[in-house]
Amino acid sequence: MHEAMECQGAAGAGLLNSREAIRDLFDDYYATLDAVDLEAWPNFFTEDCVYRVISRENYERGFSLATIGAESRGMLMDRVTGLRTTQVYAPRYYRRFAGPLKIGRGADGAVPVEHNLLLVQTLIDKQSEIILSARCYDSVVEVDGRLALERRDVVFDSEMIPNSLIYPA
Amino acid sequence: MSKNHTWPEDGRGRVPFWVYTDPQVYREEIDKIWYGPHWLYVGLECEIPNVGDFKTTTLGERPVIMVRSGVDEITVVENRCAHRGLKFCQERFGNRQDLLCPYHQWAYSLRGDLIGVPFRRGVKKQGGMPADFDPSANGLHRLRVEEANGVVWATFSDETPSFREYLGERFWKHYTRVYDGRKLEVLGYNRQRIPGNWKLMQENIKDPYHAGLLHVFFVTFGLFRADQKSAVDIDDLGRHGILISRKGEKEQNEVTADMRQFKSDLVLNDPRILDVVQEFTGEETVGMITIFPSVILQQQVNSLTTRQIVPSGPGAFDFHWTHWTYADDSSEMKQRRTRQANLFGPAGFVSADDGEVIEFSQQGFSPSEDEAALVTMGGREIECTDHMVTETAIRGMYDYWRKVMGYA
Ligand code: FES
Ligand SMILES: [Fe+2]
Repeated sequence: MHEAMECQGAAGAGLLNSREAIRDLFDDYYATLDAVDLEAWPNFFTEDCVYRVISRENYERGFSLATIGAESRGMLMDRVTGLRTTQVYAPRYYRRFAGPLKIGRGADGAVPVEHNLLLVQTLIDKQSEIILSARCYDSVVEVDGRLALERRDVVFDSEMIPNSLIYPA
Repeated sequence: MSKNHTWPEDGRGRVPFWVYTDPQVYREEIDKIWYGPHWLYVGLECEIPNVGDFKTTTLGERPVIMVRSGVDEITVVENRCAHRGLKFCQERFGNRQDLLCPYHQWAYSLRGDLIGVPFRRGVKKQGGMPADFDPSANGLHRLRVEEANGVVWATFSDETPSFREYLGERFWKHYTRVYDGRKLEVLGYNRQRIPGNWKLMQENIKDPYHAGLLHVFFVTFGLFRADQKSAVDIDDLGRHGILISRKGEKEQNEVTADMRQFKSDLVLNDPRILDVVQEFTGEETVGMITIFPSVILQQQVNSLTTRQIVPSGPGAFDFHWTHWTYADDSSEMKQRRTRQANLFGPAGFVSADDGEVIEFSQQGFSPSEDEAALVTMGGREIECTDHMVTETAIRGMYDYWRKVMGYA
């Protein structure tokens, strides 16, 4: 009885009211990227999402330039195509360490979420290094009964990137 | 000269690896090239619009401050206190009425003159600077500065000719094709540390041979290909270069057959990144200028960028990208340039490749200083060409480098 009520509650008020569902979304997101399941990555976003990995100086000064910028899920898919088929780079592992989520109050059917992110890179035969130290500003919405990102800004303090930023954050 | 290095037999056809690895050669380069008779890129005039606005950067290895010292005057001083040598200004950008060192609060005017020394005459008749202390001889070290159509250049040497003369008339023409006097506006910055010798970045942009092979993205979508009408121009001394090209269509032919990585079936899900408009006169869509030694001026379709090189030892350099737009561009054009920036920078579809291969290069050179690279694509001459299958501009740069460095 209790379980059924909760279930109904979730369905009625939507997944957006469930902190657990939002946490699951980010857990899945990072697990997918850490596993380099790049093809699955764009599915976390809405069709006309905005995705940016942007330096703190550009972000704070209102500059449009992002180190990676996409204005649609299609552009994210093109990123994956680039990484898989056209780009040249040394083999590496990326591992993402996300801090606690600060889940804000939703308005207009979107919930703002903030958290810290550390992106650690390990190249073969090299010591691990921090490739990004960032704060993420996401906007989560519900589409077709599941949660998705309609906007994601990864704002990094670590502006001097150690050579290349290959995989997404 | 260090370690009695001698240039390989095959003069122009080879570049020995010690030019990239020997710390003493690097030190000589810093003195003879970076602090020698050459203009170095400092920044864009539009980065410091108001009097008192400043930007800090590094020329060679020396920190400097570029400051608007008057409505129509830009000053570049070394960021080093005349008292005890502190790099006293730590912000990247800001606005000040004067330049103040926090240690003992010596104050300098925006032109770098020493205007304040606390307790200069002592306290209660005790201490203070000696009577012969001359503030006018203890200002910040000021560099020679020239602004050319929105770009600020500085030089440490009195020997350097005027900037226009430094470029030469042909390169002045290339330069003013894009820097035509219109007001510029910054779109944003990218910064990366590339673990390779600084000259490798110059070489990379002087090397059209790789562009049509390494950069599968370029080639696949027709942005830069060996069969497109193109040219390499070099200044009379061999130090500056430009790669000029024309965008083509995505197609398969004998050239793509030579490219093992060509992807004929590749399509973009969202092709707005390739929404290119022709904005400069003539049919050329690419003009990549290398100004020796400090900067690359990029015009790649609608992406306009200065890429500043800051050397850091023989094995690394910092690369600062400033993406800009014309101030009077439409918002649509600014967005187009912002979008196309995805091709460039540390995460660029194309430029990430370059950072990676430069790192691979340094890894190859370091353990084998006495070996040498081959640069004989297109022959051994140093000449302007109307094709891309050449390393002529790299040969030109080393011809000049050897003269300046004294390696006959
Ligand atoms: S070191 Fe700058 S004031 Fe003393
Ligand atoms: Fe390249």
